[in-house]
Amino acid sequence: MKKGLVWALVISMLLSLALFAGCSKTPAGDDTKGSTDAAVAAIKARGVLKVGVKEDVPGFGLVDTATGKYAGLEIEIAKLIAKDIFGDETKVQFTAVTAATRGPLLDNGDIDMVIATFTIKPDRLETYNFTTPYYTDAVAMLVKKDSGITQLTDLAGKQIGVAMSATSKAAITEAAAAVGVTLTDANFSEFATYPEIKAALDSKRVDVFSVDGSILTGYVDDTTVILDARFSPQEYGIATKKQNTELATYVDNLVKGWLSDGTIDRLITDLNVVPPYEG
Amino acid sequence: MTGNGPFAWWRWQRLFSDFSLILGGFGRTLLVAALALLLALVLGTILGLFSASHSKILHAITRIYVEIFQNTPLVIQIFFYYNALPYAGVVLSSFMIGILGVGVYHGAYVAEVIRAGIGSIPGGQMEAARSQGFTNFQAMVYIILPQTIKIILPPLTNLAVNLIKNTSILAIIAGGDLMYHANSWASNGTLSYGPAYVVAGVLYFILCFPLAVWARRYENKLKNREFVTAETVELISEVIEC
Repeated sequence: MKKGLVWALVISMLLSLALFAGCSKTPAGDDTKGSTDAAVAAIKARGVLKVGVKEDVPGFGLVDTATGKYAGLEIEIAKLIAKDIFGDETKVQFTAVTAATRGPLLDNGDIDMVIATFTIKPDRLETYNFTTPYYTDAVAMLVKKDSGITQLTDLAGKQIGVAMSATSKAAITEAAAAVGVTLTDANFSEFATYPEIKAALDSKRVDVFSVDGSILTGYVDDTTVILDARFSPQEYGIATKKQNTELATYVDNLVKGWLSDGTIDRLITDLNVVPPYEG
Repeated sequence: MTGNGPFAWWRWQRLFSDFSLILGGFGRTLLVAALALLLALVLGTILGLFSASHSKILHAITRIYVEIFQNTPLVIQIFFYYNALPYAGVVLSSFMIGILGVGVYHGAYVAEVIRAGIGSIPGGQMEAARSQGFTNFQAMVYIILPQTIKIILPPLTNLAVNLIKNTSILAIIAGGDLMYHANSWASNGTLSYGPAYVVAGVLYFILCFPLAVWARRYENKLKNREFVTAETVELISEVIEC
């Protein structure tokens, strides 16, 4: 009887090991791909560019619930890339991503790139390629008007709701420490989506809803207010698979071009997006 | 293994250097599961006895309880405790919600198992006990329940396995359990979600697998005994399919 149990364990371990090996080897095989043209040619051959975008961030990536259409700065950038590849800006297929799904979707090849308020961080560069930032945001805080919180020094002992995979946790801890307020892990609650944080703020589970300022603007209502304090610049870049350096170079050159010829500035103005943060 | 795939070796090393976080979550999961199981057993036994009684009111209470908790998703129940109760002035910690939410939900299933278990004991047993001067309650405690325990242990163990897995629901309300910490670790730093979820899965497996194996063995042993028919055991297994 005991033997059977041991074997079951051994077999399941081996199976899972085989699984990991398979998973880690497949992407490595991509290394040998040719030039920039090859990476783009692969997308061209497929006939459509697949982009992961946000569906709940006004000004950046937002789905109009009536028409089902995406709109925002990041949507326009994706269309520009499609136009550059195919000469047709409609040949782009959007996939809604969250902070928790954008990485896996990129890794398993479901999408070619992520343009979804994805902050460039040194740690993240070990896992994905990022382009030159196309927008700079900053972490901000949304609070209930009647909470009495007006600045960073009021945060002592408060609960702060942040998004998983967002950089705001580290950013707030650092900014608070600079004004003498110590925050620990116990002060933070992480949620998978923004509406969940807003629900937690409304039910007073958390005192502060803190994510990037651009995202917060979509959640202001009669009872809440965004504090003036802005900290920790968040530079948004287009993320591509680490192994696919050709695609990364190609997209990076596009973004650099649009930054220098004023295309992106024009989009920001046209779409009424809050001007980039200049700390 | 040195590449940048989601399962690259260096990601595992990062995870193991932060392993105390995961272990902390594992401990929280264990504690919540143990206390929720206790609550589910107590609630389920009381309600199961209610439905075996002759009182229409007690029957009704049990039916309403069981139908409400079995026919709404656990995730909605948890969300309700977390985000709706505060409006009524009741603010429970995530930890308490874990115990109450998961315990109350599974209590409904335990009640059904106990009801079916009592129902599987031939009616003649009760009549015989009553004829010997036992009260209804005494007959239940000394004659009927001891016989049901053997029959309901396998399905109860399967329920315990489900309960352990369902504590992962706490992740959505920042409950600090194993799933929450795996999520949190996976979405910070180098975004190494691969090892985080595999390790979380393995840890849940280590908790659940021995229980499931034990339940299956015990069930097979029971099937070979004469006094409980295989049909009874299968009947109860069907009742708790969830």
